[in-house]
Amino acid sequence: MSSVPSDIPAESEGRLSAPSFSSGLTVPDFAACLQMGLEPVGLVQGYCVMKWSFYGAGSPYMRGMGAYQYNTQQGAYSESYQCPHGYVGGEHISWGQNFEQTMVEAAWTQGFTSAYSRLLEEATEAGGHGVIGLVDTVRSLTDQAVVEFHLLGTAVVVSDAPGPPDGRPWTTYLAGQRLAKLVEAGFMPVSIAASMASVQVWPYCMTEYYLRGQGGTYRWSPQYATSEIEQLSRAQMAVCRLAREHVRAQLGTDTLYGATFAASDYESSGGPVLEATLRGNRVRRFKAFDRLDPPRPTVRLT
Amino acid sequence: MTAAPKNETTGESEKPTALPTDLPKDASRRLKELEDGLFTSDLSVNEFLLVKEVGFHPLGFVMGSSIYHTGLQVRKFTKSEELTKLTEAMYNARELAMTRMEEEADELGADGVVGVRLDVNYYEWGNDAAEFIAMGTAVKAENGQSYRNKVGKPFTSDLSGQDFWTIMQTGHVPQGLVMGTCVYHIAHRGLGQAISSMGQNVELPNFTQALYEARELAMTRMQDEANELGASGIVGVRLEEKSHQWGSHTIEFLSLGTAVTKTSAEVTLPRPTTIISLDN
Repeated sequence: MSSVPSDIPAESEGRLSAPSFSSGLTVPDFAACLQMGLEPVGLVQGYCVMKWSFYGAGSPYMRGMGAYQYNTQQGAYSESYQCPHGYVGGEHISWGQNFEQTMVEAAWTQGFTSAYSRLLEEATEAGGHGVIGLVDTVRSLTDQAVVEFHLLGTAVVVSDAPGPPDGRPWTTYLAGQRLAKLVEAGFMPVSIAASMASVQVWPYCMTEYYLRGQGGTYRWSPQYATSEIEQLSRAQMAVCRLAREHVRAQLGTDTLYGATFAASDYESSGGPVLEATLRGNRVRRFKAFDRLDPPRPTVRLT
Repeated sequence: MTAAPKNETTGESEKPTALPTDLPKDASRRLKELEDGLFTSDLSVNEFLLVKEVGFHPLGFVMGSSIYHTGLQVRKFTKSEELTKLTEAMYNARELAMTRMEEEADELGADGVVGVRLDVNYYEWGNDAAEFIAMGTAVKAENGQSYRNKVGKPFTSDLSGQDFWTIMQTGHVPQGLVMGTCVYHIAHRGLGQAISSMGQNVELPNFTQALYEARELAMTRMQDEANELGASGIVGVRLEEKSHQWGSHTIEFLSLGTAVTKTSAEVTLPRPTTIISLDN
């Protein structure tokens, strides 16, 4: 957590102590919130703008300097690929590598955690027991290496109930009827859980041929063959697995509910970069499941 | 001064209706027709039915407009700061459009305006000029009770017909569409700053602080408006960001929501029925 700004801005203190509440909830969510005995007390938010560097040993400037077992000493994911052709020439890409970009993941985690901590500060300032309907946005500001983390939610007080035992407000992405159904199912929200994983792919000759259809003799040219691109497949599986592992590490004995998974990729000068984010609600069982009323079947006549 | 419009059938000059001073004269005939019972509305059929269900009747489609010239303000390359002149311009222009819409609603004897939309349009013919438009459907309570807000004006709200029905079931009544705006210039990073953070993962506190402060200013101003109306809260707050025509480092942060007052502790909203669709 960065030290600046550790406090919420002066303007927000006045806003959060105002007699009227503000809420980012839609009207249906607001109504459901009241029905559940949750009183909104204020719209709370947290920000952090992060810059992250070029990727050190993962930089494309290191390309061509030989196989590099990036971060294996930290237990990070890394795989090397050796050319099956033997010596062909100086231009031939005789090795490749997939590696987890721990520096990027650390920057994302720092930015997200800082923004989240500030949101909790505001919620505590507003006297909230929890924060519902949380929306988080991660976007590039001026270029790809400057990223803004913005979390926004509505702080609520549980009517006729004491605050959280540790004084730390609980948080959830859910609001409205989805939150109501969660509680009816016997679960209470604990916190949000989110992670990001990033894997850089440095293609070796075979992957390069598949991707670009370049070079090679007829015998070696896989553009004529139908085959899995193993290096990319393994990178894709790794990035999904890493995102899940990062979130699982945050859960303890709790459960993840309502998770959303997003995968993306972009081309860096060193090769493709695969990224994945996983967000969800950490929930804890507090009572037995209340059976729902049987749903009424409907058919649209239009 | 233009001549009074003539009645097409009688050829007689029509008696001008008393209108608020800054409404166009052309609004006269339209509003007069609305006063006679014909109503226009941009509500969908479902919205119309729900507004009726909650005891309101649409009176007419009302709007207000203002074409505003936004001036120049010097921005310092390496300093993050609010551009107060631009903030004032963006606020005043919307306020003018909103006030004119309220005047039209007032002319109709409305209790409020629902489904308000606030748009900004730019035209090729106007450098640095923008048209701010507010429009919505004026409504009046059928039971004769006044729902005007604390300052005696028709309430305004960006709630849809469905949301209007729902909010009334929660014991809350809209008071007004409240907004706060802040035009903020976010400093560029100097060469020294860029070099000093090279190769590191670091937070950029200046950027964080600037964005934080700008959004807070917009939200605080919105909340101040709600407090002036004596509202107990604001629902459906939206935070919008636009650079308009100022470049990427100058951003308008606009915070909008509907201020509501709690009139009853009772929530009369029925428990929702669970359904399962059998459609393919």
